[in-house]
Amino acid sequence: MTKKRRFHLKIFIVLFLFCWMVPAAVAHMQAFENMGIAKPRTEREAPDFSLKDINGNTVNLKDFQGKPVLLNFWATWCEPCKEELPSMQRLYETLSSQGIEVVAISIDRKNLDRVKKYVDEYKLTFPILLDPDQKVRKHYYIMGLPTTYLIGPGGKLKGFASGARVWDSPDSIEMMTSLKETS
Amino acid sequence: MMNKKLLSLFIAPVVFFVFAPLAQAYIGLCCAHCGGNMPMNLVGAGIPETHEYRFKISQMFMNMGPLRDGTSEINNTDILGAPNGTTFAVAPERMRTYMTMGSAAYSFTDNFAAMMMVSYIRNEMDMEFNQPLQASTGTKGFTMFSDGISDLTLLGKYRLYSDDHLAPTNQVSVLFGVSLPTGSIDKTFSRNPVPGQNGTILPFRMQTGSGTVDPIIGLTYQGSSDPWWYGANFKLEAHLYDNDQGYHRGQEARYDFYLMRQVHPRAVLITELNYWYEGKYSDEPFDQRVNGEGHAGFNPNAGFLSPLFDPQNYGGHQFAVSFGFQFQPVPLHIMELIATLPIYQDLNGPQLQQDFMIQFTYYLEIPTKKSRRYVGFKPPQELGF
Repeated sequence: MTKKRRFHLKIFIVLFLFCWMVPAAVAHMQAFENMGIAKPRTEREAPDFSLKDINGNTVNLKDFQGKPVLLNFWATWCEPCKEELPSMQRLYETLSSQGIEVVAISIDRKNLDRVKKYVDEYKLTFPILLDPDQKVRKHYYIMGLPTTYLIGPGGKLKGFASGARVWDSPDSIEMMTSLKETS
Repeated sequence: MMNKKLLSLFIAPVVFFVFAPLAQAYIGLCCAHCGGNMPMNLVGAGIPETHEYRFKISQMFMNMGPLRDGTSEINNTDILGAPNGTTFAVAPERMRTYMTMGSAAYSFTDNFAAMMMVSYIRNEMDMEFNQPLQASTGTKGFTMFSDGISDLTLLGKYRLYSDDHLAPTNQVSVLFGVSLPTGSIDKTFSRNPVPGQNGTILPFRMQTGSGTVDPIIGLTYQGSSDPWWYGANFKLEAHLYDNDQGYHRGQEARYDFYLMRQVHPRAVLITELNYWYEGKYSDEPFDQRVNGEGHAGFNPNAGFLSPLFDPQNYGGHQFAVSFGFQFQPVPLHIMELIATLPIYQDLNGPQLQQDFMIQFTYYLEIPTKKSRRYVGFKPPQELGF
C-alpha cells in the first residue's frame, strides 16, 4: 500500500468514525435533554455510601463499580415517587442484563415494614437501600423527592434529575445505555 | 348592594379556578411544605412551599345555644321579665353563623410566608320576647340578622428553627400580623317587630368587625414522626384602643394542639384540642351609651333590653375537641372537613354557648415559575453541577 493510499484510508476511517459517532453523541445529548437531566459542569466522584438493604445486607456504592447506576432517592410518603417506581422496575428489567444498575434509597425514618410493603406491592427486584438516619441523603444534597443521580461506570456523577420521570421511555433507555460508554 | 357583594364573592373563586390551571405546572416533587401537612382550620398553622401560592376557601357553620352563665346552662325563662338588669325584655335562644372564608398565602423564602384572610359572615339569632312584648307584637319572638365582610387579617410567619429542610421533625415559627377594621361596627336592626327598634344598633356579637387595628402575635410548633404529625399553636389578638363607637373587644388568646395520622398517601385523620379565652368588651357603643339604644325606653340609665347589649356578658374560657380528615384527590388540591364540639365552657354572664361548628375547606396550591415544583430543585454545586 502506497503512502498516498494509506493516507486516504486514514482519512476515510476518521470520516467514518466522525459520521458514526457524532449522530450517536447528538442522540445521547438529545436523550439527556428530553429526560430533563442536568449534566455536571465538572464530573466528580459520587459520594460513597454503605447502607443496609431491606434484607439486612450491607451494600456499598463501590459494589457497582464498572456499571452505570441510576441512583434514586424516595420515601413511602412521597406520592410522585410511587408514580415513577413501576417505570424504574421496567427499566431495570430491560437493562440489567446489559450491566446497568438501578438502586433506590428510601429515606423513611421509621416504618421500614412500609418500605417492604411497597417493594412487594410494586414487585421491585432492584436493590432497595435504607437511609433512616438521612446521612446519605445529606451527602447527596437531596432537597426534594424523588431525586435521581446518574453515575457512570467509573463512579463519576453524570446527571441529576429532580422530580418524577418515566424511566422506561426510549429516551431513558438511550440515555442509560450511553452511560456504558463513559468513564 | 349586598347582592353585588355576594355575587362578587362567588364569581371571584369561579373566575380564579377557571384560570388557575394556566398558572400551574407540576413536575411531581415532594417537598417540605407541599400538601396539607397541618389542620387548615387553624389560622397560620401551615405555609405554602417556597415561591408558591395557596388559596383557601372555607365554608363554616356554627350553631350556638342554649344560654349559659358561668359553667351552668340556663333557660330563657330564667332571664325573661322586666328589663331591670337581672331580667330582660328579650333573650337569645339560638344563633347560627355562616362564614365563607377566603385566604391567600405566598412564601417568599423557605422561612417566610405572608397570608391574607377575609370572610363574608351571615349571622342569624333567634330571640324570644317577654310576655308583654309577646302580647304587644303578637309573636313569640323574631330572628335578628346581620351580614357583611369581616375584618381583614394580614399575617406573616417566620420559621425560627427547623431540624431538617426536606422532612423536618421539629419546627418552630413565629406569627405576627394585624387585623384591619374592614368589618362593620354599625350594623342595625332590620327585622325587629317592636316599633322604633329597626335602625337602632345591633348587639356586639352581631357586628362583623372590631372597628380597631388589632395586632396579632403567635408561636407555632410543628413536629412529625411518620405516620404522625403533631403541633401546637398559640395566638394572641390584642385590642388596645377604642373604636369609633368608643369601645374595644376583650383580649383574645387561643391555644390549639393537634395530632394527625396519615392513614393513606392521600388521606389524613385529624384530632385537635382547642382552647379559647376572650375578655369582656370594654364599654357600650356610643349609640347605646349616649343615645340609649339597647336600653329600656331609650334611656341610657335604664336596664338593658337584652343581655346581648351588656358588654360584661361576653367572653370567657372554652375548651373544645375537633375531629376531621384531609383528602388530596390529586396533587395540588386538598380538601378538609372538620367538626368542633365544646367540652368545657365557663362564660361571662348569660350568653349563648357554643353547640357545634363544622367547616369544609378547599385548598389549592399554585407553583409559580420560581417554585421548585415548576423547575425542580437545582442540582447541587457541591457535586459539580
